[in-house]
Amino acid sequence: MNKTVNTRCVVTGLGLISAIGNDVNECWENALAGKSGIKKVTSVDDTNCYANLGAEVSCDTLDVDDLSKEVDRVSKLCLKASREAMKDAAYEIAADEASRVGVIMGSCVGGVVSIENYVTKGGKTEDINRMSISQIATHVANAVGAKGVITNVGNACAAGTISIAYACELIRAGVADAFIVGGADAFASVPYSGFLALHALSENPCSPFNHSNGITLGEGSGALVVESYEHAMKRGAKIYCDVLSAGISSDAHHITAPRTDGVGQMYAIRTAIKNSGITPADIDYINAHGTGTGKNDQAEFLSLHTIFDEETDKLSVSSTKAMVGHCLGAAGAIEAVFAVKALTENKIPPTVGYTEEDLAALPEKAGKIDFMPNEMKEKELNYVMSNSFAFGGSNASIIFSKKPGDVKETETDEKIYVTGMGIVSPLGNGVANYIEKATSGASMETASGIANVGKEDYDKFDVKMAFYRKLDKFSLMQVISGLEAMQSAGIEVTEDNTESLGMIVGTGDGPITTVYEFQEAISAQGNANGSAFNFPNTVYNAAGGYLSIKNGMRGYNVTVTSGAQAGLSAVCYAYNELKQNRASAMMASGTDENSEVMTKLYNQLGLTTDAKKSAYDGGNGFNLSDGSTTIVLEKESYAKEHGAKLYAEVAGYGMAHANIGIGDLAGSEEALVSAMNQALEAAGVKASDIDCVFGFANGNAMVDDMEKKGLAALFEDMPVIEVKDIVGEARAAAATLSAGHAALTLAGELGTSQKGYVFKNDATIEKATINTENFKNVLAIAYAQGGTYSAVVLKKAE
Amino acid sequence: MNEKELEIAENIKGMLSKNLRIPAEELDYEVPLFGDGIGLDSVDSLEIISCIDASYNVDMTGVDKEHFYNITSLTKYVVANM
Repeated sequence: MNKTVNTRCVVTGLGLISAIGNDVNECWENALAGKSGIKKVTSVDDTNCYANLGAEVSCDTLDVDDLSKEVDRVSKLCLKASREAMKDAAYEIAADEASRVGVIMGSCVGGVVSIENYVTKGGKTEDINRMSISQIATHVANAVGAKGVITNVGNACAAGTISIAYACELIRAGVADAFIVGGADAFASVPYSGFLALHALSENPCSPFNHSNGITLGEGSGALVVESYEHAMKRGAKIYCDVLSAGISSDAHHITAPRTDGVGQMYAIRTAIKNSGITPADIDYINAHGTGTGKNDQAEFLSLHTIFDEETDKLSVSSTKAMVGHCLGAAGAIEAVFAVKALTENKIPPTVGYTEEDLAALPEKAGKIDFMPNEMKEKELNYVMSNSFAFGGSNASIIFSKKPGDVKETETDEKIYVTGMGIVSPLGNGVANYIEKATSGASMETASGIANVGKEDYDKFDVKMAFYRKLDKFSLMQVISGLEAMQSAGIEVTEDNTESLGMIVGTGDGPITTVYEFQEAISAQGNANGSAFNFPNTVYNAAGGYLSIKNGMRGYNVTVTSGAQAGLSAVCYAYNELKQNRASAMMASGTDENSEVMTKLYNQLGLTTDAKKSAYDGGNGFNLSDGSTTIVLEKESYAKEHGAKLYAEVAGYGMAHANIGIGDLAGSEEALVSAMNQALEAAGVKASDIDCVFGFANGNAMVDDMEKKGLAALFEDMPVIEVKDIVGEARAAAATLSAGHAALTLAGELGTSQKGYVFKNDATIEKATINTENFKNVLAIAYAQGGTYSAVVLKKAE
Repeated sequence: MNEKELEIAENIKGMLSKNLRIPAEELDYEVPLFGDGIGLDSVDSLEIISCIDASYNVDMTGVDKEHFYNITSLTKYVVANM
């Protein structure tokens, strides 16, 4: 049975910083005036580079407070826009509602400026915690006091749009009342050099839908306050517009180039329109992706003409990238702010840069669509769309409306089951291997774990050399665990089901090793000599993109990065997509890499130790390791349709954050308890119904003490099983594995007893052999430095 | 191939193996690099152009596909344009 979930989501605050202004009004006035922010670059070295233009932010108030001084430039930009959005929304989060308010930010390259600083300025410890995308939303959450779902979307140039879509999904799911969403990216050497290497930068200012000879990079941040209509009304907020529905898809085609047939883009656009309860004829204006590369513009022309030409004579389309440049993970957010301003003021910003000659050539390409050359127009607008398409074949489309709309989103009451699994770990690859190792009491032999992917894996899953040689280790681990998971679930991708199969990849550190090595190379050889081969692997969603290319899945495909717990938050996210009927089956993965680079960084942070550690050993340090775990979640009807094995039911989840310092955990127990309580409530069980907790303890006292404090708040005597005793601190891979191991336990795959611990509520914890035979309800939990937690209740499959 | 050509061919082979992660055992001087052979694509060709420019100061931007056919053809082009 499906019920309608059309909770109105409204935009109540806007924030913006870009090359054409340091706040919304300045950016908007300049956009309407057609003023371009594209100039010769100043923040990166352009020696011997064939293109030297960029759209850089000029703002001397980025360091307005102590917090801003301590963060990467990407977070400075994001904090600036977010604070403006909160001020514009006149919203101050009250303590008693903070757990219902979240932050979701999109980014492509995250703290890459800090990676450059680390590499070129003496390897300072303070730069390490600034490198990952993971930190961006945390900084915003701490600045505004949000304690709900705090995460970042790493889908490259579609990230900003997806962040808004996910926030609305969660509001409609009843998980949250309000979000600060958007995206940010800073101008930096890695993307500049990488796009140069791909010959994707234009020598002249980018010229979308016109000369189409390359992009101009920009930087900035867009932020929006999105809340349920009820929440907005209750606090008397001014409302800009409604956010209707969105469409998210994957091309399953190429890591950098869009499909020439536009199929992925069109699925995203059509899904957004259909689920918004409108028709193509209703769309008045589209803020296009419009990067200005030949391949993008050609595919986008095709998609727009195919969907809209027969339906409407009144469509206007513009690309504001001609003024603010391509701001990568911020693009979708910045363009969403422009789209909302256009809608509410009935003014459409132009696509600048057309000469008389260009104008003469435009009608043939534009057909019935008004591509808004050079001049803004005033026009009554009711529905506007913003589109973003990205590396990894990621597509996102979202619709803003003046009217409440007739959103067609639904929610199923079907149960969600774990039906398959794939594991890459330092103990070897494959679920059968893991079961053998786990039941024989094996653990990592050394204090630093490294998983290996090789010929045996390629042969097993028919991965050809022409494919696997392109992938870095981060992507290889993801692809192998994903392929095993789909195979074990018995799902074959066909033309009929491809768009209903999706994946959420969670990662704490993403491809930081590859980004770091790319930075080292260009620091030595110059920005003109970046590697075209390696650059595509620097984006966080490359791993999920490659997996979709390999297995052909064209459905929902998002990479979230929010510290080590991202692997379990991916399970929460995937569960939500199935409950809201955006997919029939979803992979949920956690992947993180160990390498010389990662070992060096974690050593320098003082988080690792040379001693072999188990949970609750006490003292500082854990055993850094890596891997990838993928579990397949399916709706009951779909699983039964193809006779899938039901390992366990995923019954509910919770996510929470504490406003403590980056890299800290002390004082965050309230968030752990909040996440666990939310999960119990969502699953309809009480703490006393839980038979076992699958924990996150890793031998580092700070982490293990936090787990004990959380357990003490909810449970009396409680059996605890720790997967990191087996695979080490594999971060996101271990976080997903806590749920995977729980599912294997409930399915009886790991025998009738396991080594574990018994927590007693006098705060002692003792090693014990746990009888698992009669487990009915269990809880998997995961933590991230900075006090972000996820919790998932799993039930024995009926 | 003469000695100089062999040296260049071996260097290109090493570059393909290291920079494009093609297993060295899959490479000889005649195996087709694009299409059904090794399966290189347009991004790989950018890397090849960049490496040949850096190693030999020979610019292969916009050069006909036939010169990218295999290691031998790349070597001949480099020798002819050094």
